[in-house]
Amino acid sequence: MLIDINAYTGHWPFKQLRDNHCEGLLGRMKEYGVDLSVVTNLNGIFYKNTQSANEELYEEVRSKRAYRDRFLPFAIINPIYAGWKADFLTCVKDFGMKGIRVFPNYHDYTIDDPALLDLVKMARDHDVPVALTMRVVDSRQRSWMDLAAEWAMKDYVPLVQAVPDAKYMMLNLSTGMALSAEQETVLKNANVLFDTSGRHITHFANVYRRFGKEKFAFGSHFPVFDYYTGLLRIESLRPEEAEEADRALFCSGNARRFLKV
Amino acid sequence: MNRRNFVRNMATSASGIILGNALVQNAVAATASPAGPADRMKEVLRYRKLDAHVHLGLSKDGPEVNVDFAERLGIDRMFISKPVTSGPATPDDFRAANDVILKAMKRYPGKLTGMLTLNPAYPKASLEEIKRCTGEGMTGIKVYHQVKINDPLFYPVIERLIDLKMIMLMHAEATLGIAGYRMKYDQGIKPNASRPEDFVEAAARYPEAMLQYAHIGGGPDWEYACKLLKNSPNVYIDVSGSNNENNMVEFAVKCVGADRILFGSDNMYYQSVGKIIDARLTEEEKRKIFFDNYYNILKKGGYHVD
Repeated sequence: MLIDINAYTGHWPFKQLRDNHCEGLLGRMKEYGVDLSVVTNLNGIFYKNTQSANEELYEEVRSKRAYRDRFLPFAIINPIYAGWKADFLTCVKDFGMKGIRVFPNYHDYTIDDPALLDLVKMARDHDVPVALTMRVVDSRQRSWMDLAAEWAMKDYVPLVQAVPDAKYMMLNLSTGMALSAEQETVLKNANVLFDTSGRHITHFANVYRRFGKEKFAFGSHFPVFDYYTGLLRIESLRPEEAEEADRALFCSGNARRFLKV
Repeated sequence: MNRRNFVRNMATSASGIILGNALVQNAVAATASPAGPADRMKEVLRYRKLDAHVHLGLSKDGPEVNVDFAERLGIDRMFISKPVTSGPATPDDFRAANDVILKAMKRYPGKLTGMLTLNPAYPKASLEEIKRCTGEGMTGIKVYHQVKINDPLFYPVIERLIDLKMIMLMHAEATLGIAGYRMKYDQGIKPNASRPEDFVEAAARYPEAMLQYAHIGGGPDWEYACKLLKNSPNVYIDVSGSNNENNMVEFAVKCVGADRILFGSDNMYYQSVGKIIDARLTEEEKRKIFFDNYYNILKKGGYHVD
């Protein structure tokens, strides 16, 4: 079984994306034998009112049986924008969304913002994960209208420290994984699931051993990234690097446990 | 909470639970036929691959790590270099860097072929270094950002490469605020890096030269670079680097044609292989990118790959 924990629909306003809709994503899933995908609507990064994007995603996913069967939608919540608590409840309770994503860099608030802490606690109390995206695109190629600064893994650690009993996903590990010993301990001890899409996973066997084999799952970051690279990191492991059971954890076991599917 | 909302929320919560469980059963049934991991790895390994852009010395890893990835992902041969990335890049610097590569070549003769580095600000020493290193089996040049590719300092080097029918791999940028691109965003680094425009100028001055634009996966605005290089037939684009953006390879092919695209990794092996495998390209186009194009470049100079 294969589960992709990091996929998107929607647009990136500074560059054309291909197959950036449920049908396009489903095509890749069929091609690669992926059973389920966590999917988020990129439009929510750029809409002031993120709930409009969540509604778009909900409508798209429920429009077809194949989508309902294969996609696990996550909502984008901006906790410093009006009505966010109601948005959260609508998405989680009414829409059945499986988790939430936050984009503090793009939505212009800090990691210690009290509203973010409130949101994460709400997510914890509703037993849904909070997905943190290290970056969407490489700032080196950014548009003149895009953000210049990126956040590294260490920049998210204070949130995990503040609400240590929440469930977190850390996606697209592309902005630096250097941590102090204390920070590394925080992440090792927390309920964190990393995906395999990011460029700083330069040698997957070494990286998963650093944090533990229960902490990684396949993620594509498609359609921003190609669909296969995140999976190639897993499939190119040698038997002496990962037993079949370990690969099964990376392909779906860790995701199933974490997402309760 | 009023009873109506309570009932509705309970119902949707229950349906969410059921939906979650149903997803698994339905999904498994729907994906009975696609290729499995073993088949996918067979496809990865099936393509012969020449890695036209690899480094040694960017980290503490030795050449054995490069070779390990070559074996893991089916890369026949790596064209490896150690550009001088800091300081003045004096002749002592670039000779020492090339000596590291020569040592790696001797250690892995079947896997690693060197690309020498130099600094054209030292013209006599650079030409001597070309002679020394090509005499030891190196088949290309890799230069960094000390001097722009279209600077007259490069003319003697390029002319020598034309004689040798050898390609020059040059670091490039297409990033806001670097090397002349949208300098209102000045990042204060790499002022002499080469932009796509600089490649265009050098290619026009020396149409017999073979220039390798490195690298559209390395962080530049690859749409900008590919569009600009469209009409420079002697500039080859390598897709190496840490970025594996969807449609990057297809866009490059669309702009310049499959014959001018080179597989390279820049030591980012998963991304550089994965994005070509996943690209919506024909079998022939993938073969060209992975192997044929660079092989044909090597053949021009009489450098052969088994």
